[in-house]
Amino acid sequence: MNKIMYLEFERCIGCRACQAACRECGDHDAKERNYVEYVDFTESRQTFPMLCMQCKDPACARVCPANAIQITDEGVVLSAMEEKCIGCRNCTFGCPFGIPKFDFETNKMYKCDMCYDRTRHDIAPMCASVCPSDAIRFIDFDEMQQLRRKRTQMNLVEGKKPQEGNKWDYVPEFFGVYTDSQS
Amino acid sequence: MSQFLVKEGVKNQIRKGEKLVTTHCCYCGMQCGMHIRVDEKNNKVVGVEPRYDWVLTKGKMCPKGVTAYQTIDHPDRIKTPLIKKNGKFVEATWDEALDLIESQYKGIQENYGKDAVGVYGGVSMTNEKCYLVGKYARVGLGTRYIDYNGRYCMSSAAGGFNKTLGMDRGSTLPWTELEHTDTFFMAGSNTAECHPTSIQWFWKAKDKGAKLIVADPRETATARVADVHLDLLPGTDSALANGIMHLLIKHDYVDNEYVQERCNNFEELKDMTAKFTPEYTSKLTGVAAEKIIKAAHIFGKSPRSVVMFARGAEQQTSGVDNVSLYTSMALLRGQIGKFASGVATFTGQGNGQGGREHGQKADALPGYRKIANPKDVEHVAGVWGIKPEEMPKEGVSAYEMFHLMQNKTIRALHVICSNPVVSSPNINYVQDSLEKLDFLVVNDFFMSETAELADVVLPATTWAEDEGTTTNIEGRVIRIRKVVDPIGESKPDWEIMSMIADRLGKGKYFDYSEPREIFDELRHASKGGKADYYGVTYEKIDEQDGVFWPAPTEDSKGTPSIFQERFATEDGKANLAVCDFRGPSEVQSNEYPLWLTTGRVVFHYLSGNQTRRVDFLMEQCPEPFVEMHPELASKYQIENGERVKLSTPRGEMITPVKITKAIRKDTMFVPYHWGKKLAVNQLTSPALDPFSRMPEFKVCAVKLEKLTK
Ligand code: SF4
Ligand code: SF4
Repeated sequence: MNKIMYLEFERCIGCRACQAACRECGDHDAKERNYVEYVDFTESRQTFPMLCMQCKDPACARVCPANAIQITDEGVVLSAMEEKCIGCRNCTFGCPFGIPKFDFETNKMYKCDMCYDRTRHDIAPMCASVCPSDAIRFIDFDEMQQLRRKRTQMNLVEGKKPQEGNKWDYVPEFFGVYTDSQS
Repeated sequence: MSQFLVKEGVKNQIRKGEKLVTTHCCYCGMQCGMHIRVDEKNNKVVGVEPRYDWVLTKGKMCPKGVTAYQTIDHPDRIKTPLIKKNGKFVEATWDEALDLIESQYKGIQENYGKDAVGVYGGVSMTNEKCYLVGKYARVGLGTRYIDYNGRYCMSSAAGGFNKTLGMDRGSTLPWTELEHTDTFFMAGSNTAECHPTSIQWFWKAKDKGAKLIVADPRETATARVADVHLDLLPGTDSALANGIMHLLIKHDYVDNEYVQERCNNFEELKDMTAKFTPEYTSKLTGVAAEKIIKAAHIFGKSPRSVVMFARGAEQQTSGVDNVSLYTSMALLRGQIGKFASGVATFTGQGNGQGGREHGQKADALPGYRKIANPKDVEHVAGVWGIKPEEMPKEGVSAYEMFHLMQNKTIRALHVICSNPVVSSPNINYVQDSLEKLDFLVVNDFFMSETAELADVVLPATTWAEDEGTTTNIEGRVIRIRKVVDPIGESKPDWEIMSMIADRLGKGKYFDYSEPREIFDELRHASKGGKADYYGVTYEKIDEQDGVFWPAPTEDSKGTPSIFQERFATEDGKANLAVCDFRGPSEVQSNEYPLWLTTGRVVFHYLSGNQTRRVDFLMEQCPEPFVEMHPELASKYQIENGERVKLSTPRGEMITPVKITKAIRKDTMFVPYHWGKKLAVNQLTSPALDPFSRMPEFKVCAVKLEKLTK
């Protein structure tokens, strides 16, 4: 498997279906692990979804003193192992994206695992499955590349070209790469 | 036969000990495909799985759809009939409830005539049930007074389409074509929240460079990314459409050949729109003239465009005019009946399309037949096995039924699948009208605000406990499957109606053992009508991803695109709309200086009787709020989150403020999904469109007050 979670923030319509769907994943104990926020509701209705970036060198796992956060062969960063997690919440501070959540009742952290019980069988995670706007997609590497080229193409169609100082506008998305260990 | 439908190569997660049942969402007109997870051991619903291979929605769902299954085995379900004794509901057997209904209906009808018992239906249920509500009223009860909640939803679209195109199918094209459209002109539709899964098609088209023009007083998620956002004053759509057509004519964007060949009234339209210069239009609508001009050029230049609208344009006293005018924009451009082009309304309720076709409306019979037309009556009476003379006459519209309760013309009412004390305008009056009834029966599966007023509540099933069909936003007839057996003693509405009809001595007309038999009868009843279902079968729906009506013959595959050659009017030509701007029924005054408009949020559906019981949805949106611009808030010294008072001559409410620049400075917005003290419909205006009898939910003059601490 060589699939990518591809996020395009500007497509998001703020419906929060991804959050509702996250709760529906079998291993998720009816608790959502992703979030959707307004950029600034006073200014506009623009929202954005955020889920685990499945970092190659995850900050959450790095700062975990108990070594409780495991990474699968495919590169998925799992929730802390229950028997190891000591409830110190370092991971919740360490993650730059605010992903690990904390259950104060069980004193354990839980996080987005990309619906591991689905994705390992090549079935899209719940959030990407339901997202009505395709703000979240679960796609092949090739499809991702095509989407990147498409952007350039559209900018050309519209006669837009990056200038000094606005180059960043041309790469507004953020995407997590889900690779298998060999690649 | 397996009830799990899946196309080759599509993978779904099926957990051990579970099975999937293929169906569609129970809420809006998108009717998103889904599979429901059932535990095989105890036959309980445990969750939802995306239906990736459903052609229109591709596995996508909004949060209502994702959580819809949670309403099935919900602790609040009404599981037995309830009879009110001394102001309190007590559980009863079906026999007790039916005994009481029988004696009350019979008594009232003997003393005051057949018409003293009315029926108030709804369209969030299958075609089979919607069809039967019409027959139940006319044959079972013999009453002329029947209407339904679709009057508040689709009636203006229906009126406008009938006037201009001669037939009311919500979309003239299948929506899978929308990705090839070049320009969308959307008016009065917050589609990102009200039909979220439609967004995939608009964004797909946008990826290819499609343009988007959005007319809305609020900067909705679609307006935000639109090429032009026409931020019009509520209630001014007819001026805007006339203004755009003025420019289409002026700049030679009219498809003359098409108009010549296929449309009437062009000269009259030209005369009417002559005065709607950008300046004049701008004055009426509050939209900058440049934006109107820009929109007209984009729309005029586009080779393939779709004009779309929803309740924002329709729930006005000029709703029918608005729909006719917007439709005429598409006609001037020669778009209707062509690939990836046309006109469409966003159907609000799950079966808002099918439910309005088969005779729940005061003046209509199955297949869009008319009760005023003797030929139509003869056909339907034939199918029903009654004499044409026995067919009751035309009744009155939903809101007008409440006047008849006030003056005691209607003394008993049976509400099926609706919650009018939340969803009607001016609900203080509506509640008073229902309280004046001698006898009220309500079918529901949750205790709605309307059910609370009832003398008898009958436990209906949810959508997942019965078979049937619905007709989606496109006009595609699709299949709803039974997932589990009815919970408790609940029964599907068709069975309830049949039992009551039986008690009234009409059992032989309602002898059904399953919904399929009702559908078969509907096929014959609609045969030869405009909404012709004769060629639709359950099997065909499965084989070909639904069937678009009309399907007039047994071997018909249905009609995805309509009006390709001729329109459904008598002369086959479309009637361009010639309508002046009339303005809303209310005007601002010193006392009520601001505008109020209402609508939905993505987390709730209609009166909220279902969605207000789902945890996730309530966590996201537990109560109504009023959206206002920071400049307006500042004028009244109001802060974000503060509670304020809104009032109109009809009622008042106190609600927290959400401040955002994404709305006009003179307009406030409140969602309508709550009842009683939290209901914005205490405030809304009951003024009706003269043609469709649609109330003007979307525009009223309102007073805003800061509460003293
Ligand atoms: S489901 Fe998609 S559109 Fe909806 S909030 Fe999540 S990311 Fe945004
Ligand atoms: S409410 Fe409408 S958009 Fe949402 S899942 Fe149901 S049918 Fe789809």
